[in-house]
Amino acid sequence: MRRIYLLIPLVLLGLALGQTGPSYIDAELQRLIQAGGQNYSNILLKQAPDQALCSIHRNKLPAEVLGPFIEAQRQTIKYPADGKLMGDWRQGDAIFNTLARGNCFSCHVGSPRNIGGNVGPSLEKYGQRGTSEAVQKYTYEVIYNVWAYFPCTVMYRFGHGGLLKPEEIAHVVAYLLDPASDFNTKPALKR
Amino acid sequence: MRNRSLWIGFLLALGLGLSIALTQPQEVDPYKEAERQRELFRQTAGILPGELYAAQGEELFTQKRGSKNASLEACDFGLGPGKLEGALTQLPRYFADTRRVEDLETRIVSCMVRLQGFKPEEIKRDEVKALTAYVASKSSEMPINVVPKTSQEIAMYNLGRELWYHRAGNRDMNCAICHDAYAGGKVRLSPVRSPRQGLSNEWPAYRFEADKLYTLQDRIAFCYESIGIAPPEFYSEPYIALSIYMLAEATKGKHKFTELPGFTR
Repeated sequence: MRRIYLLIPLVLLGLALGQTGPSYIDAELQRLIQAGGQNYSNILLKQAPDQALCSIHRNKLPAEVLGPFIEAQRQTIKYPADGKLMGDWRQGDAIFNTLARGNCFSCHVGSPRNIGGNVGPSLEKYGQRGTSEAVQKYTYEVIYNVWAYFPCTVMYRFGHGGLLKPEEIAHVVAYLLDPASDFNTKPALKR
Repeated sequence: MRNRSLWIGFLLALGLGLSIALTQPQEVDPYKEAERQRELFRQTAGILPGELYAAQGEELFTQKRGSKNASLEACDFGLGPGKLEGALTQLPRYFADTRRVEDLETRIVSCMVRLQGFKPEEIKRDEVKALTAYVASKSSEMPINVVPKTSQEIAMYNLGRELWYHRAGNRDMNCAICHDAYAGGKVRLSPVRSPRQGLSNEWPAYRFEADKLYTLQDRIAFCYESIGIAPPEFYSEPYIALSIYMLAEATKGKHKFTELPGFTR
């Protein structure tokens, strides 16, 4: 019950943002989407203002939009409760290499367990960067909300979209950075 | 009819068995692998699964069925009643009788309703798929020729393009972010193509890894599912909009259909 009370202001905020934010969906597009049925239109009509900006600008934001956009994306990033950005690399391994979880290997080379795709940059030997605070923070933030660094890119905003919890993202960071991780001790599988 | 269905069942089971037995752990070129699987079907069964679906569709097409006890031979796919040769190459298009832009699958449903007297809720998806395979087989390897001309077709094309760029869902996806930005690349093993590169020119197709016939609507639904968005209901306008956009772009790229039904991964 308390949860619901907490949600109300969030929903109102969302509505307010939706009304003042940019809109991609005109009356005709709305009608078309609704013709696809309830389940489909529920998702497509719930487009967030940042998704609308990427749609309007065909994924390439103009300079005047870019600064405020990146700033807004940075504001969304949340960190694990214990403040540790590197968790357990073994748990990160399972997330990185599982289709229904991180599914990272579908786009990135680097995993010793799966042949990587080439849609994203290669992450082979990612751990060479070391484990400084800056490297951990960058890696964590890119996974949590990639649009704070690469606006409108195809990679999922794992933390922002609720696909991975902050602690799970920290596990993936460890998988990439921990010198003891299989990711850094075993050779990457390549096509 | 029953005999054919048994055959289809047997051959599809055989196909699944073959694809499991022959799946190799190392990397293979998906096009070459499809070609190899296709040859194996030819050698062991003498016929391709897609051809069996088309044969099933032909029976459904010519049989007198529905409350009006009629066949589909009077169905006009845009070239005149019963004219199937090349019919798919110019679909989707606007039809004056239904006053809608329709793709092949939607047109089959309209004809089943209008000519045969089926109620929309009585129409079985599997029958529409077989009929789609049959009608499409008459456009095998022909040049795609979808050029939106009427105001309705142009409006549908424009909406399809908007939908193509519409980012949504908790994975922020749209079609363009993969199919335009990474055309020529690979997601896991799958090559990614843009509409201009002829994406959509192999459907309906038998997918040997899934061991099923996929129409273009099935394939679009599969895309939506794999990006975590509930697909539109079959025969609804989002499919028609996306199809006319993709096929009109494929036309600009001067692409042909592959063998239809296609045979693919």
